[in-house]
Amino acid sequence: MRKPLFHIAAVIGLIATALSVPGAAQGEPVRVAEFLAECPISHRLADDPIVLPNLAGASHFHDFFGNHSTNARSTQQSLEGQTGNCNPASDISSYWVPTLYRNNTAIAPTGVTFYYLGEGVNNPAAIQPTPYGLKIVAGNAKATGDADSIARWSCLHAGHVNPSKNFVTCPAGTMLETYLDFPQCWDGRNLDSADHKSHMSYPVAGGCPSSHPVSVPKLRMVLRYPVNGSTAGLRLASGTGQTMHGDFFNVWPRAEMERRVRNCLNVVIKCDHNGNHG
Amino acid sequence: MTVLLLAGLLAACQQAPPAPPPPQPTPQNGYGATERAFVELAIATDEQALKLLDLTDSTELKQNRNVELTELRKLLDAPYVNNHAGHDMPGMPTDAEIQLASTSPDALKQFVHTHLTESLEVVRSAGPAITHPPTAEVVKLMERHRTAELAAG
Repeated sequence: MRKPLFHIAAVIGLIATALSVPGAAQGEPVRVAEFLAECPISHRLADDPIVLPNLAGASHFHDFFGNHSTNARSTQQSLEGQTGNCNPASDISSYWVPTLYRNNTAIAPTGVTFYYLGEGVNNPAAIQPTPYGLKIVAGNAKATGDADSIARWSCLHAGHVNPSKNFVTCPAGTMLETYLDFPQCWDGRNLDSADHKSHMSYPVAGGCPSSHPVSVPKLRMVLRYPVNGSTAGLRLASGTGQTMHGDFFNVWPRAEMERRVRNCLNVVIKCDHNGNHG
Repeated sequence: MTVLLLAGLLAACQQAPPAPPPPQPTPQNGYGATERAFVELAIATDEQALKLLDLTDSTELKQNRNVELTELRKLLDAPYVNNHAGHDMPGMPTDAEIQLASTSPDALKQFVHTHLTESLEVVRSAGPAITHPPTAEVVKLMERHRTAELAAG
């Protein structure tokens, strides 16, 4: 009884594959404004160079990605010239998130991708390179529920599970994943601010507001954790899934960032790790 | 070709980023970002620790935390915001731990000890990083308190 069903499924699959061939001919660039960096976990520390500068061991635990040298004392000057673990190797920026735990066991993400996107603004040609040394914090580490959270948790390979602002139960064979979009409008003056947020803003109606007029790439962090099944015992070092937050300290070499913004985002083309396209 | 190259160069020039501002000088021995972060963290930790210490019969522990809170609040240069509520911070008992301590004397003893050892580590780490003399005085006071409290068992 199962064989004919399998055949039907295979035929449907073939038709679906044929129908899903992109409209663009082979070799044509994909018209999505995107470049990316994939950076596995580098190290874990109870440090936070943005929120608790110079106070080593004073923070909740964070998983650090990218620049190997990041710690409580990191500055633009200390990070530049160091090495990291991103693909591309030229990205030596620092990225960090609160550590995920199941009960008291830390769980490292096994897929870590930072997308730099031209979406969210109507005029991608006006996007400027992310300023060197810019610090951005996204998400709300103090979230007390869904209302004050922008976290998004879902399951890789299980699209039928509705996304949630808190942890979701992912079926066996799938992975828990989380998305976080960073603000992409800069005030044009400050690389940081007292609350670490007010120098940046999200766009309004497809444009950057006059208070934050400089459009920069939209950073989207996608983390995948080797976690499925019950959410019992899952917590972040900052609390519930709703408190997911991310920190970014930009030390992309200026020329590498500028080339990608010009060749990928301004002209709306999907680039590979090296900032190139077919 | 030349025209195309020139156009490309012109476009590149037009898209040059705004010149980043020079780094803001850190005031010498002033109340800077590190001092502000430490004071806010220490207030959050002491306030949460008091909820745990209220379960003990030690007046000294409670009095010391309250003295520290008074001194720390004097240092604030802006309305206090708790940036660490609900976080698993070193030296800061969690709500779950306080709940457990309220029903278990052993857990209470353990969590008080953990509060003291971990917050002493944070205070000792902050010591060399704090250059603002009035803040440094409070850091020293907090270190003296915790060292004596641990010695008293």
